[in-house]
Amino acid sequence: MILAAALNAQTGWSIVIGLGVLWVLLGIWWGRKAKTSEGFMLAGRNVGLALGSATAMATWVTSNTTMVAPLLAYEKGVWGMLAYASASFGLMLFAPLAFRIRRLLPRGVTAGDFFRMRYGHAGWAVFLVITLVYSITWLVTMAIAGGKLLEALGDIPYQQGMTLILVVCVLYTLFGGLYAVIGTDFIQSLIILVGIVFIGFTVINHMDVGTVHEHISREQPALLDVMMPAALLAIFNNMLFGFGEVMHNNVWWSRAFAMREKVAPKAFFLSGILWFPIPIAAGFIALAAGPLGVNVTDPSKVGPQVAEHALGLAGLGPLAGVIILVVLFCSMASSIDSLLAATSDLLVRDIYEGVFKQTLDPQRFRPVAATSIIVVSLVAWGLALSGWNIDQVLFSAGPLVASLIWPVIAGLFWKRLNRPLVVVGMLSGCVAGLLCYFHLQTYTGALVGAAVSMTFTIAARWIAPSPLEPATPSA
Amino acid sequence: MFSAGFLTALVLLGLVWTALGALALIVLLVRDWKRGELW
Repeated sequence: MILAAALNAQTGWSIVIGLGVLWVLLGIWWGRKAKTSEGFMLAGRNVGLALGSATAMATWVTSNTTMVAPLLAYEKGVWGMLAYASASFGLMLFAPLAFRIRRLLPRGVTAGDFFRMRYGHAGWAVFLVITLVYSITWLVTMAIAGGKLLEALGDIPYQQGMTLILVVCVLYTLFGGLYAVIGTDFIQSLIILVGIVFIGFTVINHMDVGTVHEHISREQPALLDVMMPAALLAIFNNMLFGFGEVMHNNVWWSRAFAMREKVAPKAFFLSGILWFPIPIAAGFIALAAGPLGVNVTDPSKVGPQVAEHALGLAGLGPLAGVIILVVLFCSMASSIDSLLAATSDLLVRDIYEGVFKQTLDPQRFRPVAATSIIVVSLVAWGLALSGWNIDQVLFSAGPLVASLIWPVIAGLFWKRLNRPLVVVGMLSGCVAGLLCYFHLQTYTGALVGAAVSMTFTIAARWIAPSPLEPATPSA
Repeated sequence: MFSAGFLTALVLLGLVWTALGALALIVLLVRDWKRGELW
């Protein structure tokens, strides 16, 4: 066990199974509404503001938010917290895009529909490779984080914990589709927000911010430095990574298609507003590590470790582990379910129907959708089994997703474009970004990828542009 | 160097903002439910 007051295995299993049964029952309940393919994949295209905002926010709160935000604060101080918070701008900026997406593709189903319509088969293929690699990698990191946390907090062996969290998410996504995902996301988002606020105020109750500042300025003054170059670079890199991730990934496009047309822009903007303070609140918990006298043995777990310490000081004893486990479990489940649903939608819509030219009638849709969810989860499970450090793969995907920012914006808003040049820009951005990531500095990858792709896309506006088709209803 | 006042304001703002986010979601849920606009 890594954390001092971790739960015993029986309690860990009970919590996870209890929450799992709750999510599955709710998934079955809400899944009754998913009678058609549109119901299953897009929750009937009628999601309102409350559920729409909560699902976008909860999906963006991953184990990275609850684990890496404290780590960034611990290593890079105030700018580290703000750098992570800047990822919320991606959600806010997606608001006008969501508006345009609904206008351009009123019957769209996946982000692939857009890339195929705007950039032809070549652009669509580049998008599919990037997004499938990224989505599966993201899913694997979530599964690994889940397994490791259940091992650390609940004394559940890694492979069993990782399998358990995947099975729970697969089950309720299978039964309820996007209805189940969105419904559970709302409850999970409330648990995450309340949990972070409760832990944050508990920390403040035992160590006021002034004392934390005094301790840091004495022991680690660099964490309070206004001009910390690496952290400043991290802000822009994180922001562009966030833009690229939100703008290209089907997780967000499927939500844009699922919400009512007038709701989608408002919901994305509100979700960004709701998400912004979370890394600051979670990051502060890590800044209090030194002043609270917590011996941080593994910086990647500094958040839960300090939280457990502070809750212990508040006299919560074993309940501390329960609270932390529930919050972290929700933060992971809310992303895993979304990734399972959105990635399997891509397999059904873009690969099965698009690449293999299969026609899906209503009778065959559910078995095919279920199979694709299981295939995605099995691939993720297989890759996560060894527990190898895949975070590096996820972070190195930053240049890839950042290379898609400008093609998405241009394809949505511009009327004329040299499409082959944009596709060349996507590929060039990926190559240049990856080279900089591995050979220059990791924080430059997304910056360079976005800059190269932007240059090509802007050039494509002026060099031999051809008119883009008007709105083409699909599906 | 960031001052103690700035850090205090940032952290308190972050926590209060997060709490208000939870409250806003509940208020919106009730509003959508009353209007029959949940989904």
